[in-house]
Amino acid sequence: MAIARAGTAVGRCDQDRTMSIMALPKIGYAGMTHLGLCSAIGASSKGFDTLGFDTDPALVARIDAGKLPVVEPDLDDLLRDNRVRMSFSADPKALLGCDVVYVAPDVPTDDTGGSDLSGLDGLLALVLANTRPDAVVVVLSQVPPGFTAARQRSGRLLYYQVETLVFGRAVERTTKPERFIVGAPDPSEPLPLAMQQYLEAYGCPILPMRFESAELTKISINCCLVASVTVANTLAELCERIGADWSEIAPALKLDRRIGAYSYLSPGLGLAGGNLERDLATVVRFSEEYGTEASVIRAFIGNSAHRKDWALRTMHEAVLNKVPQATIGVLGLAYKENTHSVKNSPSLALIRYLGPWALKVYDPVVPASAALHPNASGAASALDAAEGVDVLAIMTPWPEFKLLSCDDLAATMRGRTVLDPYRVLNPAAARRAGLDYRTLGVA
Amino acid sequence: MLSHQFSTPTAPGRVVVVGAGGFVGSTLVKQLGLAKVPVLGLTRKEVDLLADDGAKRLRGVLRPDDGVVFVSAVAPAKTAGQMMTNLRMAEAACAAFAAVQPAHLLYISSDAVYADNANPVTERSPVAPSTTHGMMHAARELMLRSEYRGPLAFLRPTLIFGAGDPHSGYGPNRFRRQAANGEPITIFGEGEEKRDHVAVEDVARLAVRILLHRSVGVLNAVTGVATSFHDIANIVAAQFSPRAEVKSVPRPGPRPHLLHRFFDITDLHKSFPDFHFEPLADGLARVHQESSVR
Repeated sequence: MAIARAGTAVGRCDQDRTMSIMALPKIGYAGMTHLGLCSAIGASSKGFDTLGFDTDPALVARIDAGKLPVVEPDLDDLLRDNRVRMSFSADPKALLGCDVVYVAPDVPTDDTGGSDLSGLDGLLALVLANTRPDAVVVVLSQVPPGFTAARQRSGRLLYYQVETLVFGRAVERTTKPERFIVGAPDPSEPLPLAMQQYLEAYGCPILPMRFESAELTKISINCCLVASVTVANTLAELCERIGADWSEIAPALKLDRRIGAYSYLSPGLGLAGGNLERDLATVVRFSEEYGTEASVIRAFIGNSAHRKDWALRTMHEAVLNKVPQATIGVLGLAYKENTHSVKNSPSLALIRYLGPWALKVYDPVVPASAALHPNASGAASALDAAEGVDVLAIMTPWPEFKLLSCDDLAATMRGRTVLDPYRVLNPAAARRAGLDYRTLGVA
Repeated sequence: MLSHQFSTPTAPGRVVVVGAGGFVGSTLVKQLGLAKVPVLGLTRKEVDLLADDGAKRLRGVLRPDDGVVFVSAVAPAKTAGQMMTNLRMAEAACAAFAAVQPAHLLYISSDAVYADNANPVTERSPVAPSTTHGMMHAARELMLRSEYRGPLAFLRPTLIFGAGDPHSGYGPNRFRRQAANGEPITIFGEGEEKRDHVAVEDVARLAVRILLHRSVGVLNAVTGVATSFHDIANIVAAQFSPRAEVKSVPRPGPRPHLLHRFFDITDLHKSFPDFHFEPLADGLARVHQESSVR
């Protein structure tokens, strides 16, 4: 294990408390959100007694009964295997038993990417009021630079930690993080023992830094991701016009050490999920406040908005301007595969502007009612959603959609056009089946 | 992008078209008639906005429940003098709109307000006109924003074609006139510049929708399809028998640095999902037929 900065083990905890903590600290997570719940179950899998706290008693009761409100591969199994160390409560006093409490509510964003921090502030105040003075309180939600420093209070141990949740890969990310990034009041001081003991259990580097650096590290990571995504999206669109194929180009870039094997180079429908856009909006807002130059960040935002509408534009161009009474099939409502979340879903963004047409929709997890479309009917299967439609859009790359036979689709659909931005189907097989196959990054 | 105050089409009590005698205004009056919307068309004969009593006369006609389309202009505004004439007309109109505050105001502007841009132009592209014509429209938009506090929409058409076009600007209208006169159709250089062209009827149909939804904001009246002048000339040439000659002539000045101007029409798909433009070839064929009948 690599620890970025050596320090003494005890920190600010008294000796008696230290002896108790050495046994193993109890970890609390406040806010049973996607982030909080997955992180809490991950903590229990590392051998720590863990409390999941939320102010919603109904939510806590459902989770306590094993009915998880989020869809993540292997998460149910992980909870079942570690149930003996996990408890859930809606009583804030239960937090008094915790040595480290992570505050992890969702921070909603508005249409411009701005964060509403009022919920986080409320939960943070509740946690501080219901934890022992020596307990370490860690803000895990995404916050703008300056947030954590502004909430320091005398006599309390308040830290910030960068969250690394990835929807659809939450278990992997929470049990095998590549590093911990910790914002601290004084990074030259050792971390509180309980927190250090907990983080060391993951066997990855721990990078303490000042609060503002940690908060900006999260944004910096996302800006780098955005750069790769935007380069891929920009050049994929060019491929669609000039006869090149981005899937042939991307492997060449992956072999370039300056770009690397793990770069995000798959074209997609702009930036998805909202968190990347939140960070771009934060950088723009700070640049306006401090007069720094951020035109490239604005360009990222503009490019993302343009590519997000690829499906809408393509559908109009290929079908809707020729078939006024078209029926449209939509496969996938979740914002990405292996998750129940529809927040910032490209599928729902498309459906929002398909008001005049009849829709048939199918998602393996999300009910058709989530489409919020007056003329949408739910289908029993992916193939059922394709029956009789003039155009089919595969808007979420769920694994089960890969099993669709292009010949079956061609025989089932009324029209020929299939929009498959994520290349779920085999392009060659689709064309052999006589489909008018449209995807990103190739003409 | 537009936002609609009425999610379902709702006819205003009356639509007043200020500039009903013009190419766009007269087409709009016809389209409003087809949509069975009560309409009052004002030409310069009824209200001369350049006259001393122009503002007063317009104010006397307007009612607070009117939807108003301001399309009156002396076009093209190629000189500073013509631009100032148009601004004086807008000054009179603004005075009337400020006094009466009609329920909805639509201004027919122009895509000339946008900066030259190699990227696809959208409703969010920078307004930075490079001609007096564009500057005139941009200034009029600002004047209306400043003087009228009600729901305001701007429709920004690109190059408009139609049988009733009074001008002979470079493009389909001039090409048709040249061919009809038995002259060769002349294109500059190889006519390789690609531009978007929209039928006047489509501009008017969009204006009707904006009025029926009491829409607020900006919408480009553009098709999203850029076609070269070479291709347009040959489409027009083929409509005549015998086929008209297409002749390349030297450019009057340097080749435009912006060879292609594309528009991204996603906002239109979002504002009016079931609206579709007449394809250019169809529109040119229709115009040819209408012109032959005249």
